Parts: sequence; C-alpha cells; structure tokens
Amino acid sequence: MTSPTEAGRGAGRATGTEADGDVVPAQRPRPRRGVSLRDAGPPIALVVIFGVFAVLSPDFRTVSNVQNVLDAAAVLAVVTCGISFVLMMGSIDLSSPGIMGASAITVALLVANNRNDNDLGVLGVVVAVLLAAGLGCLSGLALVVLKVPSFMTTLGISAVGLGVATLMFAGVQPNVSDTMLQGWAVERFLGLAYLTWIALACVLVGWLVQRYSRLGRYAFAIGGAEEVLALSGVKVAPYKVAVFTMAGAFYGLAGVMVTSQLGAGLVQAGRGYDFSAITAAVVGGTLLIGGRGGILHSTVGVLLVTVLTNGLVQVGVSPYWQGGVQGLIVVAAVAAAVIPQRRRNQVTK
Amino acid sequence: MKFTSRHSAARHSAARNTAAVIGVALAAATLTGCTETAAGGDDAAAAGACEPADVTLVGQVRTESNPYEASWLDGGDAFAEQVGLTQERLTYDSDSTRQQEQISQLLAGDTECLVMNILPNGDSDTPPIVEGAEAAGAYLVTQWNKPADLDVTDYDSWLSHITYDGVESGKQIGDALAEAIGGSGGVVALQGVLDTAAAKDRFVGLEESLAANPDVELLDDQTANFSRAEALEVTKTLLTKHGEDIKGIWAANDDMALGALEALQQAGRDDVAVVGIDAVPDALTAIQDGTMTATVSSDGPWQGGIGLAIGYCVATGELAVEDIADEDRAWFAEQFLIEQDNVADFVSPETSEADFACDSLFSRSQGSMS
Repeated sequence: MTSPTEAGRGAGRATGTEADGDVVPAQRPRPRRGVSLRDAGPPIALVVIFGVFAVLSPDFRTVSNVQNVLDAAAVLAVVTCGISFVLMMGSIDLSSPGIMGASAITVALLVANNRNDNDLGVLGVVVAVLLAAGLGCLSGLALVVLKVPSFMTTLGISAVGLGVATLMFAGVQPNVSDTMLQGWAVERFLGLAYLTWIALACVLVGWLVQRYSRLGRYAFAIGGAEEVLALSGVKVAPYKVAVFTMAGAFYGLAGVMVTSQLGAGLVQAGRGYDFSAITAAVVGGTLLIGGRGGILHSTVGVLLVTVLTNGLVQVGVSPYWQGGVQGLIVVAAVAAAVIPQRRRNQVTK
Repeated sequence: MKFTSRHSAARHSAARNTAAVIGVALAAATLTGCTETAAGGDDAAAAGACEPADVTLVGQVRTESNPYEASWLDGGDAFAEQVGLTQERLTYDSDSTRQQEQISQLLAGDTECLVMNILPNGDSDTPPIVEGAEAAGAYLVTQWNKPADLDVTDYDSWLSHITYDGVESGKQIGDALAEAIGGSGGVVALQGVLDTAAAKDRFVGLEESLAANPDVELLDDQTANFSRAEALEVTKTLLTKHGEDIKGIWAANDDMALGALEALQQAGRDDVAVVGIDAVPDALTAIQDGTMTATVSSDGPWQGGIGLAIGYCVATGELAVEDIADEDRAWFAEQFLIEQDNVADFVSPETSEADFACDSLFSRSQGSMS
C-alpha cells in the first residue's frame, strides 16, 4: 500500500517519503509517543518487504513458503534471543559459533548415534544445553572477574567451544539416529515444524524474562546506565554472569536444533550465526550500545533477514547479486527504521 | 633436539640457521639467513645425500575435523610407516596467518632433509610458502591451490603441484545426474563459495554436461557456500519454488549434497537424485543406501602420501629434480566417479605401497595443468 504513495510523490525522495508517510500521522503527540514510533520502523519494513516479494513472486506468497520462512527462522531466532540480552547490557557476544558447535557434537554423541551406544534422549539435550550454559557462564566470569572486555572473552570462549567440539569430533562425523531428535525437524504441529514451536517458546520465555524478571530489567538498566545502578546499591556482576549464562543456554539449544535439522553433529554447526544474530538484532532495533530494543524487536529483525534471504531466491535474483542486494536492503531497512529516532534526536538537541 | 644426530654439513647449517633466528628477529633478516643456509646445503641436497632415516616428513592441512583432510593426514602416516618414519601432522584451522607461522617455524629449524606436503589455505598463501621453502632448501609439494601465474619450474625446491580438474568432476557428476533422471527433467544447482576456483570450475563442468544433455533443464542455481546447513535452507526454498519440477540436485560438494538430502527427507521427497563431489564418508553411506546418486573422489589418503613420497624420493636421491618432466611439475591427478556399483571400493580407502614407489609417482597424472 505504500507503493502508490511513493509513485505519486516521485522517485527522488523514495526512502524519505516512505518514512514520512509513517511519521506524519503521529507527529502531533510526539513527546509521549516517541518510543512507539521508534519501535514501529522495523515491523513496517518487514511488512513492506514481505509485501513487495508477495507482489513480485507468486511462489513467495504460498502458504508452504510462509511455513518454510518460519521454519528457516527458527535457529536464528533462538540464537538472537540469547544475544539480545547481551546486547541490551551493552556488551557483545561472539561466542555462539563455538558454543553451538560444542553443544551440537555433545548432543549428537549423547542421543542414539553411529559413534557409541549412548541413547539418553531428552537427557542428552539437557546435558548439551547445560554444557553450553557453562561455557556462557565462563564468558561472563571472565568479563566481571578478569575485567576482560566481552568482545575478547566471548571470542575466546568461542575458540574453546570449537576446540572441545573438535576433540569430541575425533575425525568421524556423529550421525544422529535418535527418532525424537530427528522428529523435531520433520514432525509438524499446526503446519509448523516442532523446531519452530521451540523457537516460539524461546521467544516467549525470553520476552517474559525481559519483561517481568529482575534479570531482564537489570540487563536493560545495565545497558542504559550501569553506574547509576551500581550507585543505587545493586551488585551488577552476578546479573552480568547470569545474562551470559542464559545466552549460552540459548546457543546450546540452537546447536541442538541445527543437529536435529542436519541429522548430524557438526563442529561448524554455528558458523556465521554470531554475526547474523547481531545483524538481526540490530535490524530489529536492539542497539549495540545497550539499553534499547529487546526480544520482540530482535525477533522482527530475524524475520526480516529470513524473509529477505528467502524472497531473493524466490524472486530469482542471481546468486552473484544476492549478497550485495541483501546488504543494501538491510542497510536501507535500518536507515528507514532509525529515521523517526533521528528526527526526534534532532528536535531534542 | 633434531640437531644432535646430523652429519656435519647439516650441523653447520643448523647452527647457522639457529644463529640467524636468535640473532635477528626481523623476518627479512631471517630470510637472508636461510638463503645462506640453502647455499651451503645445496651440494648435499642436489646429490640427494639424505639418509632415509634423516628425512623429516610434514603434512599440513586445514583441520582434522574435516573427514577428507583427516584421511589425507592418515595417508601421510601410511606412507611414513612404509619408509620407517613418522609424519608430523599439522593443522591451521583455515587460518592463513597461522599456516604461515607454522611454515616459518618449520623452516627456521633444520631444513636439510625436510619434506613438506602442504595444502595452502588459498591461492595467495602459496607464494610465501614456496619462497620460504626455496630459500631454506626444503622439499615442497603443494596441492589444490596456487596462483595460475606461479610457475613450479622456476623453483628447485618446489617439486610439484598437484590439483584436480574441477571442470571434469563437475561434468562427471552432471552426466551421472542426467542419467539418473532418465536424460530429461529439471535440476537445480547448489554452487560453492562463488569466488573460489573450485566452485567456478565445477559449475562450468555442469554447464558442459547440460550442453551435452539438452533435455535436462537447469531450473535454478544458488550458492550454499559449500555448507551443509546453508544447503538445507536453500534446498527447502527451492523445493517450495519449483516443487515437483525438480528431478535432480547438483551440488558442488558433498556437504551441500547431504544438506539437500536432509531437506528432501524433511519435505518427504524421495524421487530426487542428488550428486556431489569429495566422497566424504556420509556421502558414501548415502550412495550405498541408494539415497544419493554419485560423488567424485580425489582420494585423500593418496594425496597425503604422494606429496611426501615425491619429496622423499628426491631427498634420498632416488629421483633428481631435473629428471621430473615439466608436465609433472604442475598436474591434474586422476579422480574417480563413485556410484552405487563401485562405492564399496571406496568406503575404507587404503593406500597401496606401489602408488608411492619412486618410479611410478606420477602414474595418476591426467595431464599438465596449463
């Protein structure tokens, strides 16, 4: 529905007009509604991009493809749940590739597989997630006890995770024969794979933690103004460790989910997820400086990125162009999302 | 520790080399030191004066967590055992810097009878390795990656470069796929990392195969960056896009083929033929089970052994560098199409001693690279 407006106003201010269209109706009550305006950017971008692809490609707007997009978003959504809390605190987390790799190999070796006689089922999943939480906890401890910046501690923990995974890998790929774990990727409930429901549950849990628990609120507060929080007598350190531990648990679950999808434990299970999760979170409006955004924002970002990846294939963009086109659209989406905020800042400044 | 049991020429050079390393930390100065060493040691090397027991064998690949590269090192071990030595196994985790550091460290030690069988991380990583080995007089065989304009015959210590014709393997599996779908129907291609020579060549091979099979139609080509997880997602998307039209999936490596198989299984499709390249163990299992159609093997264990064997034969004087024909200095090695009827031969690949005999080192050559 934005396209006719754009066409009517001329090409020169394409991006600007689109954003203006969003801003104008809400301009009068600006002082109080600033927050909701800022939050509206990414969902609007999601709807617009979805709409454009739906118009361009009949294959894209099928029910089965929408299911496909949601299924494809599942793992990234879980990783992003974890990383969002860390970003809200104003820290950064690059540990997901290593933690996911360690958890993927662990779970593959603990459930029924071709390497050993283990058959722990759900218990195997729990152990893998606990191991991952332990690795996340180490990141947090290194941050608060050794005062190493999170950028470095998490990078180090990622290497540790990959090392652990490589040791357990021992040259032979563990293939999963556990029917429960394999079923998660194949079995469907209400049209969506079990994994997608798990991801939805994670988003819900993440949102509840963020909204209603002390941990979630303090994470926000740490990102916003850590000194103030410390001065008012709150011991910040345990909450930081807890956030990294929780993030680790989410990565661990994501590693288990990748293992379920691929039917095998891969050391590289988490490759690239660190940066795609940060991208998704930022696209969704979770700021890298902390104190802003949240789980729901990040989830919108995840959907945006996944819709883009899927849509470009459905529309038939050449693979040689996809990387560049995807980057441009992401930058444009972020730009469109921050325009309301930028205006507001200019006014307040 | 390696200095103790060497004959005097080696001890001299070792001492000088050590002095160079200790004396000057600058890389340039170290290189100069090594050059002197090489000049001093050349007489011995040219005559192939190394005692078999003095030869040091080194195999270097990216990572042992890749079954193919692990099997490469196992092949190196097999050759080393054959000549009563042990191979030093090195991995650098796909990190170019770490690879160069490991090589510098090796070359800073005793290089008189050093034989290196190296998998360079990328094309651009090969020149510094070659220059370093040449300066130190270490025997070097490289595989897979080298810049096209770097000529092996310009060097004395760089004995040979072995690679595989990607166009050929891409075409082989393309033809196998066409045959599997009965010569007509739609196929989709999963390309590798688009800016690598392997991905480009293999896709050219597919295009040649498509030209030869006019009834096979390429519905779509996408990249999944050689990754199993990415291939899973891309294949799911392609399945929703093209649905029943897809009769076959051509993947530029087995990892992507396995990801595609997983996507097919999740979509409940068992009527799609899938081909890949590399012959990783899971792909061989899938071919045995009949879920996958074909793959191509470069024979990892042979690669791990042959590079060491060439270096060993030259180091011990059984083969002189001048006697290696120019077309054997940079060559395409034979690769094997694996289908259900011959998969059993490849499930537990073993090296044979005859492959590494000094008079038949180049028997698998399919011709010179250029």
